[in-house]
Amino acid sequence: MTGNMPFLVVGILFFLGLYSILFERNLIKIAIGITLLEASANLLLIVLGYRNGGSIPVFTLAGEVETMVLPTPQALTLTAIVIGLATSALLLSLIMMLYKHYGTLDVREIRRLRG
Amino acid sequence: MWSTVYTGFGYWDVYTWLIFFAIAAALVLWLRSLGRKDYKKGTDQDEIFYGSNVVPDDGSEIQVPASSAYWGFTEALKGYYEILVELHSGDAREYVGYMVLTASVLAVLVLL
Amino acid sequence: MNWSVHLPALVIAVPLLGAFAAPVAGLGGKPLRNLWLVTVSALTAILSIILWRYVQVEGIMVYVLGGESWALTLPSGLSWPIRIILEVDAFSAFMAVVGSIAALAGAFFSLRFMERFSGLDKFVSLYFLLTAGMLGMELTGDLFNFFVFLEIASVASFGLVAYWRDRPEAIEAGFKYMVVSTVAAMLILIAVGFFYGRYNAVNMAAVARMMRFGYAEKIALVFLVASLAMKCGTVPMHMWTPDAYTEAPAGVTCLLVAVSQASLYGLFRVCFSLYGTSLGSSVVPWTIIVMGVLSMFIGVTMAVIQKEIKRLMAYHSVSQIGYILLGLGVGLLALNDPQAMAEYGFTAMKGGIFHLINYTMYKGLLFLTAGALYYAAGTRNLNELGGLARVMPHTTFMFVIAAAAIAGLPPFNGFVSKLLIYESTFAVYPILAVAALVTSVLTLASFVKVFQTAFLGPEKSVFQHVKEVPATMLVGMSILTIVIIGLTLFPTWSLAHLVEPAAKALVDQAGYITAVMGGGL
Repeated sequence: MTGNMPFLVVGILFFLGLYSILFERNLIKIAIGITLLEASANLLLIVLGYRNGGSIPVFTLAGEVETMVLPTPQALTLTAIVIGLATSALLLSLIMMLYKHYGTLDVREIRRLRG
Repeated sequence: MWSTVYTGFGYWDVYTWLIFFAIAAALVLWLRSLGRKDYKKGTDQDEIFYGSNVVPDDGSEIQVPASSAYWGFTEALKGYYEILVELHSGDAREYVGYMVLTASVLAVLVLL
Repeated sequence: MNWSVHLPALVIAVPLLGAFAAPVAGLGGKPLRNLWLVTVSALTAILSIILWRYVQVEGIMVYVLGGESWALTLPSGLSWPIRIILEVDAFSAFMAVVGSIAALAGAFFSLRFMERFSGLDKFVSLYFLLTAGMLGMELTGDLFNFFVFLEIASVASFGLVAYWRDRPEAIEAGFKYMVVSTVAAMLILIAVGFFYGRYNAVNMAAVARMMRFGYAEKIALVFLVASLAMKCGTVPMHMWTPDAYTEAPAGVTCLLVAVSQASLYGLFRVCFSLYGTSLGSSVVPWTIIVMGVLSMFIGVTMAVIQKEIKRLMAYHSVSQIGYILLGLGVGLLALNDPQAMAEYGFTAMKGGIFHLINYTMYKGLLFLTAGALYYAAGTRNLNELGGLARVMPHTTFMFVIAAAAIAGLPPFNGFVSKLLIYESTFAVYPILAVAALVTSVLTLASFVKVFQTAFLGPEKSVFQHVKEVPATMLVGMSILTIVIIGLTLFPTWSLAHLVEPAAKALVDQAGYITAVMGGGL
C-alpha cells in the first residue's frame, strides 16, 4: 500500500496542474500549473525507476546487493528537469512581455488572435 | 508507359495532360489571333468598358474586397460559421481543454 | 572505417554546430552570418540526401551514440538496451530529406526578409536548433530521445514564433503555442515513463518487441496519439496552428510546416512501428481517420472566410494534414489484414506519404509567397492587397504553381497524391472520398479568392512603389518550385523511389525491430 503512495502524489500533482491550467485566469497561475505538470512527470519517472529493495546505482558504494536500480530514469529525469527549466524561464518571460503589451494578466483579455 | 501511375483502380499520366494543355493553349492563341487589329488606338475604342461610366484612376475604388468574396456561400452557411467562429475563441485555456477532451474521449474508446 | 556510417549523427550534429557557432559567425558581421546560415543549411540538406541514398542501398541504419553496441552487457551475461540509438529507415530518411529541403528554402528566404529585425545571431541559432530538433525527431530510435528533440524543436519554435517581440500578437501566439505544446510534451514524457516502468527500456525497437497491449500501454498510446496529433495541428486541437503560423516570420513558417511533419512522423512511427500489429482493435485507426476528415473539412471551411493571407494558408495546412492522416489512417486500418492491405491499404499509404512531401513543398512555398507579398506591400490583409501581378511577376508565377498544386489541379503533383487517397479511401467508405473531394473544391475556391484579390484586379495607387522582392528571396522560393515541378513531371520516379520505400518501411514492423535487436534479447 505505502509503495503506491508516490503514484498517488503523482496523480494529485498532475490533476492539480491540469486544473490550474484549465480553470485559472491569471497567466502566472497557468505557468504554475505547467510547472506542477512537469514536477508530476519527473516524479513519475523517478518512482517508476525504483525497484523494490534495490540499491543505489553506484557500484563502489553499494556493497553486497541483489538488485541495483538502473540509473537510466534518473538521467532521464535530470534531462527533463533541465528542459523544464528552459520552458519555465521562457514562459515567464513571455508572460512579462504580454503584460507589457496588454497591460493585464487575465487570459480572457489576451485573445486578439481568434476566428 | 514510364510516366504512368497506376492507382489500382485507374491510372494517371502527366504527359497526356501536358499534351492536352499544349493543344488547349494553341487553340486559345489561335482564337485570340482572330481578333480585329484595326481598332483606333488612343480613342474611346481603346477604353475599358465600365458600365458607361468613367474608369476611376485608383484601382482600389473598383476592386471587390476579399471579405465580400463568396458572400452567398457564407450567408447560406451562417449558422455553421457562427458556431465555428465561436469555437475559435482564442482563449489559451480552451486550446489545452480541447486536447484534454480529445485525450479523454480517446482513452475511453481505447480502454473499453 | 567508412565515414558514411556516421551519417545519421552528422545530419543532426551539423545544424547543432550551426546553432552554437552562430554567435561566433555573427562576430564577422552580416556577410559572414548570412554565409553561415546558407552554408550550414545547404550542408544539412546535402547530408540528408546522401543519407537517404545510403539507406536506399544499404537498408536500415542503426547508429549507437557513445559506444559500439546499443546494449550494456552485465558480468552476469544479461544484456540490456540502454544506449541512445539513431535508427534510420527509408521513412526516416525520406522525412529528413523533406525537412532539410524546406529548411534550406526558408534559410535563403530569411536572408533578406529578416533584415528588418534585430538580434539576428539569435535568429540564426534558433533556426538551426529548430532544424536540428526536427531532424533528431525523425532519425532517433529512442523514445526519450524523441521527447528531448521534440522539446528542442518546440522551445526553438516558441522563440521564433514570438520573434517579433514588438508585436503583441506575436507574443500572444508564442505564449498560446507554448502552453498547449508544453502540456503535450509532458503527456509524452509520462507515456515514456510508462514504457520504462513496464519494460525497463526506452529503445523503440526493444519496446516494440516486448509489447503486450495492457492498460499501461493503452494509456501511453492515448497520450502519445493525442499529443502528437496536437503537435501537427489536427481538429479539434488545431487552434494554435493559425496563430503560430501567421505570426512567425515567413521563412520560419516554412520550417514550422516541416516541423509539424516531424510530429506527424512521430505519430505514425508510434502507431506503425511501436504498436503495429499489437494495436488490436480498430479504434485508433478510426480515430485518426475521423480526425483527418474533421481537419480537412473544418480547416478548409474556416480558411474560406479568412481575410489575412497567412491565416488563410494556416487553416489550409490544417486541412491538408487531414489528407495525410486520412491516407495513413486507412493504411493503419488495413495493417492486420494482408488482403485489404494489398487492395487499398498500401495505395492509401502511398497517397498519404506522397501527399506529405507535396504538402510540405507547396505549403512552404505558399507561406514564402505570402511573406514576399508582406515584404513588398507591407500588409497581409487581403482587403487591402490588389493588382500585384504586374509588379511581382516571379512571385505571382510561383504562387500560381503552388496554389494549383494545393488545390489538386491537374497536372500538378497535388492531384496525384489526392487521386491515390480518393481511390483507396473510396474502397473503405465512399463518404470519406466525398469529404476529401469537397475539401479539394473549397481549397480551390479559397485560393482563387487569394489570387483574385492579391494579384489580379486593377492597380492600386498605394502600391505604385512596390517592386519585386530581392533575388535571395526568389532563390528560396524557386528551390521549392523546382521540387514541385520535379515531383509533377516525374510522378512514377517519385513514387517508386521516394514514396514506396518509405511506405514499405513503415509497414514492416518486424524489419524495424530486427534491424536493432537482431535475433537476440
